[in-house]
Amino acid sequence: MADVARIPGVWEQVRLIAGLRWRILRNNLRKKNNQWDLIGMILAGVFGGLAVLGTSVGFFFGAYTLLSGAHEAWIALLFWGIFLFWQLFPVFSAGFGAGFEFRTLLRFPLSLRAFYIIGLAYGLSDFAAITSVCWLIAMTIGASAAKPAALPAMLAISFVFLLMNITLERLIGSWLERILARRRAREMFLALFIFFAVSVQFISPLLQRYGHSAQPWARQVLPYLAVFPPSLAGQAIVSAAKDQYANTLLGVAGISAYAILFSVFLWMRFATQYRGEELSETAAPARAIARPVSRSAEHSDALRLLTPQVAAVLRKEYRYLTRNSFAFFLLIMPPVFVLLFTTQFAVRHPTAVKHPVSTEMFFPGMMAYLLLILMAPAYNSFAYDGKGIQAYFTSPVSFREVLLGKNLLQVAMLSFELTLCVVAFSCLVGIPSLPVLAATAAAVVFNISGQLTIANWSSLSFPRKLNFGQMRGQRQSGMAVLVGFSTQILLGAISAPILFMSRWTGDRWLPAEVFVFLAAAAIAGYSSSLAPLAALAEKKKEILIDALSR
Amino acid sequence: MSDAAIVTEKLTRRFGNLTAVDGVDLKVAAGQFFGFLGPNGAGKSTTIKMLTGLLAPSSGRAELLGLDFAAHPVDVKRQIGVVPEGMGLFERLTGAEYLRFVGRMYGLDRPTTQRRSGELLDFMQLSDRPKTLIADYSHGMQKKLALAAAVIHGPRILFLDEPFEGVDALAAGALKALLGRMTERGVTIFLTSHVLEIVERLCSHVAIIHKGRLVAQGSLEELRAGIAVEEGSKTTLEQIFLSIVGQDGSQQPQLEELSWLM
Repeated sequence: MADVARIPGVWEQVRLIAGLRWRILRNNLRKKNNQWDLIGMILAGVFGGLAVLGTSVGFFFGAYTLLSGAHEAWIALLFWGIFLFWQLFPVFSAGFGAGFEFRTLLRFPLSLRAFYIIGLAYGLSDFAAITSVCWLIAMTIGASAAKPAALPAMLAISFVFLLMNITLERLIGSWLERILARRRAREMFLALFIFFAVSVQFISPLLQRYGHSAQPWARQVLPYLAVFPPSLAGQAIVSAAKDQYANTLLGVAGISAYAILFSVFLWMRFATQYRGEELSETAAPARAIARPVSRSAEHSDALRLLTPQVAAVLRKEYRYLTRNSFAFFLLIMPPVFVLLFTTQFAVRHPTAVKHPVSTEMFFPGMMAYLLLILMAPAYNSFAYDGKGIQAYFTSPVSFREVLLGKNLLQVAMLSFELTLCVVAFSCLVGIPSLPVLAATAAAVVFNISGQLTIANWSSLSFPRKLNFGQMRGQRQSGMAVLVGFSTQILLGAISAPILFMSRWTGDRWLPAEVFVFLAAAAIAGYSSSLAPLAALAEKKKEILIDALSR
Repeated sequence: MSDAAIVTEKLTRRFGNLTAVDGVDLKVAAGQFFGFLGPNGAGKSTTIKMLTGLLAPSSGRAELLGLDFAAHPVDVKRQIGVVPEGMGLFERLTGAEYLRFVGRMYGLDRPTTQRRSGELLDFMQLSDRPKTLIADYSHGMQKKLALAAAVIHGPRILFLDEPFEGVDALAAGALKALLGRMTERGVTIFLTSHVLEIVERLCSHVAIIHKGRLVAQGSLEELRAGIAVEEGSKTTLEQIFLSIVGQDGSQQPQLEELSWLM
């Protein structure tokens, strides 16, 4: 018989969970080297608090002004803002990794009722919920200042709106937990997020071009939004301001109906979790199938010019790149940026700004910017190897070959991306003159060779493990970032005056000649750096293994 | 010394003020199935890491197959196979891709790598999920794959850090048979395990490390001879282990403190 004297009550359990969360936060800050995290958190807290305060003032004035004037129906927009923020912000932050696993509490003797209430209480403790509650309070004060008689109605509406939002947020959250438990789903989610982030960049140009023609369509759609909770809340408060309390009650009842519906779904969802739910990553056993030996693999090898070890590392790097949704989707960014920037700044494009940049200047600038993006991962190139780093040290290879394999893939990827961008650029705005094209090409070779040498040193000296399909807690090594930026600024500072040489000297081919010389020197430097870097890897192997095997 | 596969002299590793491995002198003959035992934190994994190139010794030397490790690391690594602590797998490859990667890293040609990968995957019962990434394997499957990778190049010495942890009984039986056959062919196996019954059943020779120091080394019979037991009963490895490691009493938990549980 267990020695449990009594089962703690629901509220005591809520208090225990709150205490647990606080201890987890506090203990995380006690970890070694987390002083900067603490400072960062304090700064983020101050700025976040100011942002919430500022936007709350905005909601106060918004509610006050709308209910005081002739546009009171527009108050629904404020509710829509709160609703979308409350529901969408946690969704995006959930995609960036696993936080505290609420389900793990189920191993303790909790009743389903207690589990449900703790779940709701837990939902009230995140940033989106706290911010939204602040906005609702500000709106209530603003609305009451404009129409004091509307205060009771506003309180009732805010309460049911809050209840509905918490319930819906927890419902979405628990489904997301279920869906994102699988690695592939997490990576797909991340890919969608990146796709969304990229798409947002095009909103402004699209609105400029199609904004007017989209307005009638938007007006047709708007009435359908009236049945959703934020519009119901808006209508209810407008009715209260006009003393039409029956309509107010109808609105409150509508939001309550949503809250009840979501509560039922949430109860069912939590009940499934409570009974025990399998979220394992391991796939179900498949039927054994005959495994034919690939003839192409036996007889041909596209990488036969390389040593087996370099080819093996190159193949492994290629597979890692194509299976890393975050890194892979970052590769779509360069052509997208070319598209975006050429529509904004380049001289020959029809939608360019009033004072465009000439193609002769824009082309090298664009290439420099693309290098800045594409070279960044090279400064922590072992980040995704994880425990596999040990295989490099137990294998009979020199680290020179490992670095060469990794760099070759980096160069291949850069070549592909830059070629794609040059083609896109030439289609959109044309290519620059031959001397500028040659100078830029040589400058790119100089930059890549120079950067790879330093990036290899940085990767060995400041390794930091990163996980696939996850962004929360995925920070690059601060030193690697610093080294990367410093190198790029230095090489940029060398390259920019050389590109301008032709203007000062009148010799249009001089920059190309200088860059060819620098590129040759950088390639020689890179080649001679590999042996010392292999020795450095041997010296730093404990740091590497320790940092990447955690 | 010529028939010794592994010889260490005063092998030492310090981490700051802590001496994890303190002047270890080991000698393992070629073809031996050698068990390396010790309580948690005794220095087993640190020793294996030093013998496989994952960790540099602070002082002392290690010689494998007559070659000084520090002087000929690549030549030594070519002849050894390792299942390190944590397995060291590239989790974003499939099992077949990983084996092909390892085979090529050891310099095997492509057809040989391809053939051996398939045979090892079949033997380890991992060939029914050709497209599954290692990240999605269970712990036991990962362990079997790590073992397959350690033997793909036909090593002369095999270092296994807790090789049977998480492996099901069926696969463990097949693995033990495989390892037994390998030692018959002259392969030296250096194994650490907390399951003393496994070590007792498989290993002919054993060394025990405690607080970084080698406290016993020899054949099971030699170690048994040093332990006094009741007449007629056979000393188990567990008794040997406890009598050597538990001598200072520091490893014995005080059950009296948990009287409320009893």
